[in-house]
Amino acid sequence: MSTITIHMKFFGGFRKFGESLDFSVPIGSTVVAIKATLQEKLNGDKLVLDSVLANDRNILRDSDILSSDTELSILPPVCGG
Amino acid sequence: MNDSIYVSVSTEVLNIQNAYDFVSDPTHGAVDVFVGAVRNHHEGQSVQGITYDVHEGLAEKTFQEICLETQNLWEGIKIYMSHYKGQLDIGGISVIVAVSSAHRAESFEACRYIIEELKKRAPVWKQEHYEQGSSEWLSGHSLQSQATQISERLLEGDKVTAKERAGGCCGGGQGGCGCAG
Repeated sequence: MSTITIHMKFFGGFRKFGESLDFSVPIGSTVVAIKATLQEKLNGDKLVLDSVLANDRNILRDSDILSSDTELSILPPVCGG
Repeated sequence: MNDSIYVSVSTEVLNIQNAYDFVSDPTHGAVDVFVGAVRNHHEGQSVQGITYDVHEGLAEKTFQEICLETQNLWEGIKIYMSHYKGQLDIGGISVIVAVSSAHRAESFEACRYIIEELKKRAPVWKQEHYEQGSSEWLSGHSLQSQATQISERLLEGDKVTAKERAGGCCGGGQGGCGCAG
């Protein structure tokens, strides 16, 4: 099975895991599948469930599909101001 | 960015005068400035400071979207919006929103709308540092439905709904609807 590499950047409550994490997923994975893989890599951390994935310009929908190596960010619930 | 909107994420100390100077306009008789500062307590704990984490690219894009949306709701206003990134001690300024308008009602209402939207939508996170030496990332608003919400905001007819949500009435500040204006 062909895979792609996800470079996942961490923010807020995910900083406890470092700056970022690289991992592989099958080519054509959906965002929701990538979140599930990430949650496994982060020891089942439930914060993943309330978080979204984004590229540098947009928040991705759960149904979006990734077909090439990608840099993403996982964004936990926000609380600026 | 147009010349009536300024947005930024800054690692430098935020400057209230810069915000005021940007929105000042000879045709505007009102300037409303919101300043967010670090307080020394939260839910019974003594806070020593806060670290602000920010996804800079997405945050500035979100600020811009909020500003454009706000200008659609209150036409003719000028907006300055800047958020700090990094660690602040008690009293440090974390965010400045300044709005100018012809009359005061628009600037009050628009300023309130902007800061409330920032809190719900901008990718910014707070880590509080407590007196005992511990730290905690605060919970907040999930962004899961944001894409849908943005689309909905742009739909025709949402203008009145959004203004009502922000607490506006006549919006003109001239007392036309019987408000204090």
